[in-house]
Amino acid sequence: MLNYSNPITEQKSYSGLQLKEINPIMKLIVRGKKREFLSAIGQSLNLLLPNEPNTSTRTDKLTALWLSPDEWMIYSNETSNLDNNDYDIENILNKKISKTNLGAITNVTDQFVLINLKGDKIYDLFETGSPFNFNKFRNKVGSVTQTILAKIDVIIQNTNQNEVNLFVRRSFSQHLFSWMNDSASRL
Amino acid sequence: MTKNLRVKTSKFIDETYKVSFKFNGKTYYGFKGDTLASALLANDIHLVARSFKYHRPRGIMTAGSEEPNAIVQLHKNTSRTEPNVRATEIEIYDGLEASSQNCWPSVNFDIGGINNFLSPVLPAGFYYKTFMWPASFWEKYEYFIRKSAGLGKSPSTPDPDIYEHRYIHCDVLIIGAGISGVMAAKVAAKNGFKTLLIEEKNYLGGETIYQDSEHFKINNQTSGSWLDKEINEIKKIKNLEIKTRTSVAAFHGYNFLLARENLTDHLPIEQRNGKTRQRLLKIRAKKVITATGSLERPLIFDNNDRPGILLSSAINKYASLFGVACGEKNILFTNNDSAYETAANLFKKGISIEAIIDNREEIDSKLIKESEKNNIKIYKGYTIVDTYGYKRINKISIMQLSKDGQKVVGSKILIPCDCLGISGGWTPSVHLFTQSGGKLKFRDNDQVFIPNTYPSDQISIGSCNGDFTLDEILSNISKTLKEFLGINKTGYENLEVQTSFNKSKRNIWLLPSDKIVGKTKSFVDFQNDATAKDIKLALREGFRSIEHVKRYTTTGMGTDQGKLGNMHALGIISEISGSKMGELGTTTFRPPYTPLTFGTIVGRNVGEYFDVYRKTPMHDWHVKNKAKFENVGQWKRAWYYPKNNESMHDAVQRESKAARDSAGILDASTLGKIDIQGTDASEFLNRVYTNAWSKLDIGKCRYGLMLNEDGMVYDDGVTTRLNENHYIMTTTTGGAATVLGKLEDYLQTEWPELDVYLTSVTDHYATISVCGPKSKKIISQVIPNLDLSDDNFPHMSFKDTKINEIKCRVMRISFTGEQSYEINVQANYGKSVWEKCMKAGKEFNITPYGTETMHLLRAEKGFIIVGQDTDATMTPIDLQMNWIVSKKKYDFIGKRSLYRSDTMRDDRKQLVGLLTENPDEILEEGAQIVANFNKSPVEMLGHVTSSYYSPNLKKSIALGFVRGGKNMMGQKLIIPMENKKINVTVADPVFLDKENKRLNA
Amino acid sequence: MFIIHCPYCGEREQSEFKAGGEAHISRPKQPSELSDDQWAEYLFMRKNIKGVQYERWVHTHGCRKWFNIIRDTSNDQIQAVYKMGEKPPIK
Repeated sequence: MLNYSNPITEQKSYSGLQLKEINPIMKLIVRGKKREFLSAIGQSLNLLLPNEPNTSTRTDKLTALWLSPDEWMIYSNETSNLDNNDYDIENILNKKISKTNLGAITNVTDQFVLINLKGDKIYDLFETGSPFNFNKFRNKVGSVTQTILAKIDVIIQNTNQNEVNLFVRRSFSQHLFSWMNDSASRL
Repeated sequence: MTKNLRVKTSKFIDETYKVSFKFNGKTYYGFKGDTLASALLANDIHLVARSFKYHRPRGIMTAGSEEPNAIVQLHKNTSRTEPNVRATEIEIYDGLEASSQNCWPSVNFDIGGINNFLSPVLPAGFYYKTFMWPASFWEKYEYFIRKSAGLGKSPSTPDPDIYEHRYIHCDVLIIGAGISGVMAAKVAAKNGFKTLLIEEKNYLGGETIYQDSEHFKINNQTSGSWLDKEINEIKKIKNLEIKTRTSVAAFHGYNFLLARENLTDHLPIEQRNGKTRQRLLKIRAKKVITATGSLERPLIFDNNDRPGILLSSAINKYASLFGVACGEKNILFTNNDSAYETAANLFKKGISIEAIIDNREEIDSKLIKESEKNNIKIYKGYTIVDTYGYKRINKISIMQLSKDGQKVVGSKILIPCDCLGISGGWTPSVHLFTQSGGKLKFRDNDQVFIPNTYPSDQISIGSCNGDFTLDEILSNISKTLKEFLGINKTGYENLEVQTSFNKSKRNIWLLPSDKIVGKTKSFVDFQNDATAKDIKLALREGFRSIEHVKRYTTTGMGTDQGKLGNMHALGIISEISGSKMGELGTTTFRPPYTPLTFGTIVGRNVGEYFDVYRKTPMHDWHVKNKAKFENVGQWKRAWYYPKNNESMHDAVQRESKAARDSAGILDASTLGKIDIQGTDASEFLNRVYTNAWSKLDIGKCRYGLMLNEDGMVYDDGVTTRLNENHYIMTTTTGGAATVLGKLEDYLQTEWPELDVYLTSVTDHYATISVCGPKSKKIISQVIPNLDLSDDNFPHMSFKDTKINEIKCRVMRISFTGEQSYEINVQANYGKSVWEKCMKAGKEFNITPYGTETMHLLRAEKGFIIVGQDTDATMTPIDLQMNWIVSKKKYDFIGKRSLYRSDTMRDDRKQLVGLLTENPDEILEEGAQIVANFNKSPVEMLGHVTSSYYSPNLKKSIALGFVRGGKNMMGQKLIIPMENKKINVTVADPVFLDKENKRLNA
Repeated sequence: MFIIHCPYCGEREQSEFKAGGEAHISRPKQPSELSDDQWAEYLFMRKNIKGVQYERWVHTHGCRKWFNIIRDTSNDQIQAVYKMGEKPPIK
């Protein structure tokens, strides 16, 4: 068996803020422009891709984030098995989308690290390093944004009142996590 | 001997809390709430500094951030010491240490003071004129000038404090919490706007809050107590954030503002540890209300800079807010009504006023009556012609003004005093407004510049908009806010306002004297010692533009940015040149409004967070195995792995040998990887690479070269065909982001008809490259069920497989010229696969190698590194890579440029190999290459781009660019170094295994 | 620091974007048929005017889409934003 080494091993807790990595979470980038692409995804996964910018949709098993007019991220709501990286959802979509030339399916499970933040100081933390205006975002569960935090590209999804999922590219994740902890310790 | 000059208790000062501090080494006491300036004045200390050029004794002149004179050095210790801090802004705390700047050996006896007596020979432009010639003497002059230049001392050890940044997005930002700002904040917040109110002082209410005169009343209360209630109310509003001790430094376009929030500067040092000292606020406001108030103008007359001369409003503030008398024998000198307000307030506090010198002929009879009642003598139509006293004013001489105000008449009267308050009317603080791009207009009746056109959604209110009296402010504010915020009611519609002052003013920019101007020292810019005489000289010498006069005389160029004297400089220029003030314009007010510390600007971007770093999935393994790292882009890459104190050279030699003799392993995860899908993927690759792609079989890999549209090499890498419509492209480590950006650009803007999707997967994969004659054996142990025979798995092909249950992709590609396998596995399994390879390779002496060895190995094979051997001026033809440029393809990015007359020249610089005469001599990368020393100037033929000692060839090898090098094989050239000349021979850039036998060995 | 209205994501800070030079210069369809001078005109020559300018921008740190803006370089006011392939909404 291969050992699994995720980049962020610690969970951190501050007054009004908790941070931890969640893994393994299957993540796919799905891209397409055609109407048939959207309906094929809908039928295959029983999931409607959000077409409104900066929003997300979800089912019991999956969440879809709007990234651009022809790009979405789909991730699994539950963690998957560590000793296998064959994902059913990916296989289904490869068959229904890639093989039929409707669009592109790319596995980005380890491209992005999912950091979950909880607490009422999340946005105080973001304000120390992101130029994005979170005033509306913070009050609308399901909102999604791609922006910069501490000079690093991030995707942030408002999953609940005072809870967000933050996606960052794996190679940047340790730097960002360290930066967030440094910032959180001063809030 | 120090006196106590405290007068009646002030509610703003906590007299139960005594604070001890040091000034110039001596201990003094003040109270909590004092500024350094108010505490010094309470101790009867006026002399705090020497002026910049003449070293004249200077005292505290103002009570705010506009202070030109009283700038001090804070703290003794080398890490926290801070120069150029205004004594009028520092809140005192226990243990504060401040000292005078710009004087030696002490502020009381300053050797530089001799400049004051030399001043007739130190006019404006003195330095420019004198040290211009002879030119060769400059170095000698410079030594002395540098010594006497500059203000204060900078810290010499690292700053122990913590700084931070914060982005704020609000609906309405209000700058300044005087009466206008407080009212605006209440209206905005109560109407549901997310509001931010910023105030540079530590209290709200500005100049009004300490106003308890019967002359100004709102709804039958004194304006101070009315405002106090309003302030208590706004503190409770939820969507209003109030920041005190915060100064707006810059107002940029699109309502983007920078402000500095001071968090610990008012605390004793021992209470600051672990706390953030200052925060830079990056504010984006939908609407901005500027309520920055106005500054009192000084008056310009001979010797108007002595310690003991203050702005009249400052004397009022020290008495009313801090409970401090600035002197015992006070005189006021004015051209308008506001000095009478100071007089009335001082009288109330029991501070005596000897006289008021008023240059006006007509004065309100009420004011005269009140003054007479208070035993104050008024000199109507008089001006001060001189002042006396070296380190503190002790008397003034006055004379009557002629009717036209151009000269003085009659006889001189001498009046003793120890403090003089001057009031030349008010100047709206329009600095931030003009920074934002706002245009001013000149109002003739009271000679002020006020906001005219706004470049963004903003408004100026109160006295910074030229509304100086209480009734003007209050009657305008309601109307302005309704319109600006789009609301129906402000709640301030029916205020009952009572003001008894009017606006009459007799403005004379430069007051006349009984002496000729050349004999006077009438200071216009106090900090830079620029006098009226200097400005006249500049005009006489032909300077006309205000910007030129500013630079020639240095007027307005100090740390106070001419907040006090700029208007007078303009006035004097206008009078002499005969041009109108409005047409003359003002000099540019540049950010920051008040100085910022470097710490604030830098924030947390220091140390670990100075720059972003990226780590590969195997990073921890490299650290554990003592790798040295190098920065490549933002990546931390293993550079080499020294064993037992090996030098870098020895480690690289050992690693390079092992990779060719048995096996090496490299972490190649940093290479950019782009997933390319779509029915037009092959066509797309045809257009972006120089070579052809349509015929690449599924399962095969191909090296590609990418050009810019100008024909120059941009990036390279291996691209693999996974499927009919599916490729994976690798890019250089540093080029990953820009290549993806460029490809997206072409797809979206030039070829939107192509069905192609690009997705970065750089971070998804860990890439482990195992190379060397034993690599096949190692891989066969790591992945036993994979058929590694050359027939099944030849060079330049890939296989999808599994290690245990984990899917991965193995490519047989080589950057070293050795047989190599590159395992791409999902990143979180990368470290485990790496360790498996190490274990399997143990018996073959598998050797981890870093980027340095990788560079050496590829140089032996003559492979280029884009960015090291190329610099965006080399075509593939220059690189002798004609074989990769398709002649058949109709078009690809950069193709047309390869046929430009310039790119087709034969004598372009071309890539060659270089061998040194002495095989142990290693060339320096970047060294110049020449052929002939006899001609002057010596012609530079090119330069060395890569150079190594090859342990496998046992000689030094190098790559370089040489003009026309393609046709110079075997020719001898010279590399000139600082102390020697190295002979080299031009050679084929492929030094090892030209037949590529090792790939299948 | 501008605020730019990305036609896909909405109002964002300038720091999320990159500028990409003058807009409406399309790559010649048949480069090989152009003279050196014509090719140089396409490759190197750009306007740099004080006043209204058509520019390409990309939302690098957001949706990664390219679009055009019309900007007055004398006061930095962005007068319009429109998608690639669309005609300028104002002249």
